[in-house]
Amino acid sequence: MEIGFRSFFLALLCTPMSFSLLAQQDADQSVIEPSVERRDINESSIDSENFEFGLLVGVISIEDFSSSMVLGVRAAYHVNEDFFVEATYGQAEAGETSFEVLSGGAPFLTDEERDYSYYNVSLGYNLNGETFFTDRWVFNSATYLTFGAGSTEFGGDERFTVTIGAGYRLLLTDFFALHINMKDHLFNSELIGEEKTTHNIEYGLGATFFF
Amino acid sequence: MLMSFKQIFLPPPSLFKLVIEVWLTCALMVSQALADETVQVQITQPYIELHSGPAGGFPVIHVVAKNEWITVLKRRTNWFKVETIKGAQGSVQGWVKQEALHMTQSSTGQPVKLSDGSFESFAQRNVEFGALGGSFESVPSMTIFADWVATENLSAGISVTQALGDLSENQFFLVTVKHTTFPEWRLSPYITLGAGKIRTKPRANLVQAGGEARTSDLLAAGLGLRYYIAQNFMLKLEYQNLQALTNRDENEDLEQWKLGFAVFF
Repeated sequence: MEIGFRSFFLALLCTPMSFSLLAQQDADQSVIEPSVERRDINESSIDSENFEFGLLVGVISIEDFSSSMVLGVRAAYHVNEDFFVEATYGQAEAGETSFEVLSGGAPFLTDEERDYSYYNVSLGYNLNGETFFTDRWVFNSATYLTFGAGSTEFGGDERFTVTIGAGYRLLLTDFFALHINMKDHLFNSELIGEEKTTHNIEYGLGATFFF
Repeated sequence: MLMSFKQIFLPPPSLFKLVIEVWLTCALMVSQALADETVQVQITQPYIELHSGPAGGFPVIHVVAKNEWITVLKRRTNWFKVETIKGAQGSVQGWVKQEALHMTQSSTGQPVKLSDGSFESFAQRNVEFGALGGSFESVPSMTIFADWVATENLSAGISVTQALGDLSENQFFLVTVKHTTFPEWRLSPYITLGAGKIRTKPRANLVQAGGEARTSDLLAAGLGLRYYIAQNFMLKLEYQNLQALTNRDENEDLEQWKLGFAVFF
């Protein structure tokens, strides 16, 4: 009799437990199972896009030597969401000084010496954000500040050059970006008489790919 | 730590892999093809947040709950672009940070743990690239370098330096061997030995210099400090004493100080 009671209560206890077990099994089965074949993941199984490479075109105002078109290449490595390292190389051809134009006299520089080229390596800082063209037409973007050093070859000499820049990067897709950038190249020059620090301001457009 | 011949003299296979990877990813189409391979993980924590862009500042646009699956599409720095599995409202794409990806498991039930961007992965690095700025004989100088890390103590590399002064333009390259004394420390001293060539060209405006550019052999010995900052980023401070073996009576004794940053892979 007592055994009968005990087994009755045991059965009573078991019923809700088995139900909850069944429910749990159901829950497990209800998880959507992706149909694609899965595999273990590691660093190499995910395509990483930290490098940026592209071209830039713009105008550079070469102090005392008027403004010229500049063409360049740009490569960057994104260290983290905030910082990147950028290297640029550009070429331009300097014009004439106002003195040369007005006096019509002998030119200061030969044609070869008028070739202006620079390279620089900068550290950049991103101010990440989004650009809303319309309510629904939104792109990720970043305004960035750069500070760097490099070299400028002009007038037959190479000069140590400090660069300060700011730019705006608009990511049209995850891997393609348009840039608007402005950069001041500072170097000492004595091409026009005494030595002075020259400011050579460049601004332009760029297009880069992430890979 | 003793290293076998193979470990010391043959580049690790992951270096080959890296080179191949870089080459492959150069082609955009190929990188797109790589992205097509699906990597899927299941969330093991209550939820993870999807941001609209690859940085913490971008707003959270979606939340993926526990036991749901996501597809990892690509990564940018420490952020991963993921896509949710197509549900009633279609799939959602967003960016999750690395810590969030560590709250997931793979199809085999293994917790996802990407070892890169840590001090552990720093110990396993194969190559370092970096740029340093400083002073070479009181003239501003810039150096770029690439090092191959052979063992945890020894590495070999090349560096190119340009120092542009008021009197001359100097360019030199060095092939160096580096010994890191305490590789297990975040901040560790190292010593370097190197040999190369230096090219010195007097400024065009110095009439009295008159000389052409001259090239001399160069020997270098240096002392440095390297500091692992975070992720795959490190700082370097180095002092170098250089001897230019000129064809004049005396060799030129040169000094260089430099400070810079490097990334490793």
